[in-house]
Amino acid sequence: MSRFLLFPFWVFLLMPFFEVSSQDLPELHVNRIDSALLKNANAVVRVEEILIEISAVDAVTVKTKRTVTVLNRYGERSANFSEWYDPSRKINKLSAVIYDSFGNEIYKYKKKDFKDRSYIDGFSLMRDDRIKYFEYTPVRYPYTVIFESEIKRSSTAFIKSWVPVPRYGLSVEKSYYKIVNPTKIPLKSKEINLEEYSIFKNNSDYELSYEVANIVSKRSEIMSPAYFEVMPIVKVFLNNFTLEGMEGSAKDWKALGKWYYEKLLMGRNELPESTIEEINNLVAEANTKAEKAKLIYEYVQNKTRYISVQLGIGGWMPFLASDVDRLGYGDCKALTNYTKALLDSQGILSFYTVVFADERRDIDADFASIEGDHVILNIPDKEEDIWLECTNQTIPFNFIGDFTDDRNVLVVKREGGEIKRTKKYFSEENILNTNAVIQLKADNSMEATINREARGLEYNWNYQIQFETPKNLDLHYKEKWSYINNLHIKSVNLHDDKETVQFVEDLLITCSSYSKKAGSRLLVTPNVFNRNQGNLPVYENRRTPLVIRHGYQNTDEYEINLPAGYLLSKLPESKFITNEFGTYSYELEMLSPSKIKFKRTLKMIDGIFPKEKYESYRQFWTDIKNTDKTRIVLKKE
Amino acid sequence: MKNSINSIVVIILMFTTHGFAQDFKFGKVSKQELLEKSYEMDTTANAVVLYESRNINFQYSQNNGFQLITEVHKRVKLYNKNGFNEAGEHIYLYKNNSDKEKLSGLKAVTYSLVNGEIVETKLKKDKIFKNEYSEYYNEAKFTMPSIQEGSVIEYKYKLISPFARSIDKIYLQRNIPIKLMAIHISIPEYYNFKKFTSGHLPINLKESVKRDKIVLNSKSRSGFYVSKTSYSQNEIEYAVNTYEINSENIPAFKSEPYSGNPKNYMASIDFELQYTKFPNSRISSYSTSWEEVAKTIHNDSRFGNELEKKSYFKKDIDSIIKDISDPLQRTSKIFDFVKKRMTWNKKFRVITVDGVKKAYTSGVGNSAEINIMLVAMLKYAKVQANPVLVSSVNQTMALFPTLEGFDYLIARVKSGDNILYMDATDKLGEFNVLPDRVIQGSGRILSENGTSQLINFRPDEGSRFHCTVMCEIDEYGIVTGKQSSNRLSYLAHDFRVRYGENDINTQIKRIKEKYEIDTILSYELKEVDKVGKPLGERFEFVLENEIEIVDNEMFFSPLLFLRDKENFFRAEDRKYPIDFGYGYDNNLMISIKIPEGYKVLEVPKPSAFKLPENMGKFIYRINKTGNQIQVLVSETLNTPFISADYYQVIKEFYNQIIEKESEQVVLKKI
Repeated sequence: MSRFLLFPFWVFLLMPFFEVSSQDLPELHVNRIDSALLKNANAVVRVEEILIEISAVDAVTVKTKRTVTVLNRYGERSANFSEWYDPSRKINKLSAVIYDSFGNEIYKYKKKDFKDRSYIDGFSLMRDDRIKYFEYTPVRYPYTVIFESEIKRSSTAFIKSWVPVPRYGLSVEKSYYKIVNPTKIPLKSKEINLEEYSIFKNNSDYELSYEVANIVSKRSEIMSPAYFEVMPIVKVFLNNFTLEGMEGSAKDWKALGKWYYEKLLMGRNELPESTIEEINNLVAEANTKAEKAKLIYEYVQNKTRYISVQLGIGGWMPFLASDVDRLGYGDCKALTNYTKALLDSQGILSFYTVVFADERRDIDADFASIEGDHVILNIPDKEEDIWLECTNQTIPFNFIGDFTDDRNVLVVKREGGEIKRTKKYFSEENILNTNAVIQLKADNSMEATINREARGLEYNWNYQIQFETPKNLDLHYKEKWSYINNLHIKSVNLHDDKETVQFVEDLLITCSSYSKKAGSRLLVTPNVFNRNQGNLPVYENRRTPLVIRHGYQNTDEYEINLPAGYLLSKLPESKFITNEFGTYSYELEMLSPSKIKFKRTLKMIDGIFPKEKYESYRQFWTDIKNTDKTRIVLKKE
Repeated sequence: MKNSINSIVVIILMFTTHGFAQDFKFGKVSKQELLEKSYEMDTTANAVVLYESRNINFQYSQNNGFQLITEVHKRVKLYNKNGFNEAGEHIYLYKNNSDKEKLSGLKAVTYSLVNGEIVETKLKKDKIFKNEYSEYYNEAKFTMPSIQEGSVIEYKYKLISPFARSIDKIYLQRNIPIKLMAIHISIPEYYNFKKFTSGHLPINLKESVKRDKIVLNSKSRSGFYVSKTSYSQNEIEYAVNTYEINSENIPAFKSEPYSGNPKNYMASIDFELQYTKFPNSRISSYSTSWEEVAKTIHNDSRFGNELEKKSYFKKDIDSIIKDISDPLQRTSKIFDFVKKRMTWNKKFRVITVDGVKKAYTSGVGNSAEINIMLVAMLKYAKVQANPVLVSSVNQTMALFPTLEGFDYLIARVKSGDNILYMDATDKLGEFNVLPDRVIQGSGRILSENGTSQLINFRPDEGSRFHCTVMCEIDEYGIVTGKQSSNRLSYLAHDFRVRYGENDINTQIKRIKEKYEIDTILSYELKEVDKVGKPLGERFEFVLENEIEIVDNEMFFSPLLFLRDKENFFRAEDRKYPIDFGYGYDNNLMISIKIPEGYKVLEVPKPSAFKLPENMGKFIYRINKTGNQIQVLVSETLNTPFISADYYQVIKEFYNQIIEKESEQVVLKKI
């Protein structure tokens, strides 16, 4: 830190942004990088300077100058710079200069040298944003890129955050960030995960500046918190802002939610009379709110499908409910708003709810800003809220699964926004029971009938196989049990009960060579259908906590009929393990001289455990793996 | 009795073909089509093309000359929700400078059955999205409104192309089944096209000739004092060659693993322009033979001229070759020089873009720039070298002589009886060891004298892998030992490409995961940087869970962690050939010292089996001497490209290997 104190802060404030350099820069020499920063790093940010100027409630300029040294091919994505643009986001300046490891200039890209293409997200039918990027083929490593851009946006609802280290494998020499706000538009900011760094800052009511030096690269670890949960970040939000031409003001979630409701949702729920009548008839027989909501949800599932079209304000405002009614498609916003409109028509109160989907991520409860990437629907009910995922045509009513479970979300109400937490699926709810009757034969073959029953998240993880073609379904089981050579799936019967949220698989399988012959003996693994196969790496110094995202409970019970003429010489010992991560049991029982019973239970508990616990978790996992593959020896009578 | 059964069948067949004679006029969707619940020929289909017609013809206008018109009409049945992604179309429109393909007359309607009535919903204009897709293509996309399970969607549009000399390849198969397909192509006599078909399905093509005429209007002025305009019409009659394909019940196309580019196996028809001959003008020829293609490309300034340039490398190459006279050594030095100097920009090209000179200076180039440079240098060094045009794995195979069929270029050297293929875009490449993108494709060599020859890059012999394991088992069943192996040729190349850059910890982690080994005590890689040399890998290991002890007996597979556990051919059947790219020849030798106080009770029996036509073989030998067990396994796959007819045989071959390798040794306490 002392180095910073020797470096007067005003120097930074006067730092010349955008002085276009066009000669060799020996100070970029790779030798100048502190060796501590090179360790484990794929790239090093030599210096990043971000200057944000808020000139009006509908005008913000972001100037970026970023100098990055790429050390190897994995570091290329840290130098893969581009800017996107759309009608409300203009690129004023854009350039990139490449230097070799000595700091000699080797290539220069002016704005016109950048390639231009439409933004492809892989799932949208249409978007109006485009991207400018440059293509550089590194001849050798390391090399350095100086990237400069100036962006002008009329939407001020998104002020670029300070994210000095955007990913693993990246070190940072220096990073500067500054907001100037001459017209004094009130703003708020929040610092997250800055504790472990020596940050120099100078903040006033309307302006901010941050700097940091010498952040050492980190490597990712398995089963650790998501990077966005641990990365240092300063978030900024204007109390008065503009979003695609729509002005707003919000200090907290209540106010922002109210704005959201009034500007983006209100008046978009009108439906044709004929549809309302159809819904009236549909729910006429239903008694409770939940029953009616379920009928309406299934109606939406039948009638619509997910198609993403993101144009202008349409990226934030749902299509009109009447459009969805006519077209039969829409994105998450449109389909949620449509479902809400149908519920409205029956006087059932429901709320448009903004979330981060997929990997668990909270809407920040104490920092109101426009965030989230998905929308679901919330219906308050007597004891427990109902949550609806309106973009999925196949999941049961009130079943959000691991896509949006157990996280803080923004519930948008007429009177304002409210942070709620979505449903959590506990270990006890996520059940997979496997029962099997297995017939072993003297010619090494095996035949089995299997019944698998999945509930809760296990339903979520299994039910989609019903949509596979017969050929893929066959391969699905052969991959699941890939350790069984010569496996044949004779028949599969799937039953999806959406009422009880239960997925049942009934299978008949054969294997011509399950038992392994060793002279007069047969070796058999009693655990046929649920072997833990994964390997967890050993860390000498685990850095991050252990995260078990979801709990579950698996029970396997098989009746194993021994081949005629063979006897079991000795029953392996039972095994029981209980610890903070869960419980595991492995038992074999002799039912008769020719019949044994196999029972295995595994219950995993979700949670976040201190990093020191990782090794004992790994050991637990290894013990399970080794016990699962235990074999029994059958001898000829 | 027998006869009457036959006649019933005939009657039923006749009835069905006539009974389902549907109306395929646009808009005439029947209730029957909407009621249909599944496709009887393939009940697993989520959607099916009920009807697809493509009418391709040439239209003349005085302003634009001939334009190529493609009229598309498609009717698709959506049986269930999983078929909904068939409810739209993505159209690419080629453009080049000011010429571009245009889309016109797009009409699209969804038909659904609501309470027994057919309800139509039209696609609105503002729901057709148009966009610039890339430098060479615009795109138009739409998805249909108001679809339900059971809906039928129907659309038609016209593509107007000024590029009358090229008819795009027409696919006669889709990833969903097609009930009825009608392709109609009419080509004026002025254009002479040759047709080529591919795929495994029969194609029923009918040809005929019709007449058509062009009416030319002309305007002329006459008179000296009083000007007078006169109009005249001029009719030109010409012959039109027509091609018709009417197919029924075309099965869905499904791709399969290890088959290179699946599109090579999809039914298609392609038209190649031979020449044009317009009235009152001379014949203009287009590529008609490989010799012509060779000439065309050699005359292309971005190819032939580039091959001639020498000045930019003269000095550097002179100093490399000055003390060497052996052509093979020269080749080797120059190949290494280019590999070292040049970095591939990941672009697949047959011709240069920025030129060899610029590429040479910047050290970056596409496949053509780098390998043309290599050929030029070799020729300069008096080595007999040629460029080889390649249809990479990304490209569908060229059915006729055309440049379009190629997207990549490599080099070939002929020295005595040796033929060496090389690709300098691959820094880890060796002579006759080419990157995957090349081996799974095919090549054509074009020499300056105009001769050409098709080339299969897949090697005839398997790449070698030698592995020796020396280990001992202690009384607790813990195995400690050493593994030492050598990889050659493609196996060495593949290792260098995938793992060559990894640090030692990553290598150890990989070995632990691959072989499920608990502890690696030491690890060493040899010659990983010396491309062309055999690659050695040594490590010392401890296995804690390999040996099972039950009742004073020990059980284990004598191959230990080296045994194959999973068969990668799991599917019950297969339609397309298996393409491994290259074969292998694995030789394993494992020596195991058994613990004191134990004796060998059982060992697996020796065994050997092979694939037909010398495609591959497996040999398993085992010896016990005193307290040692020694196993020798040799597994060979010679043929890297195997027809689907052999699928069951190949699958069974691997099954047997897995079974043999899982057989157990039993040791008993004395």
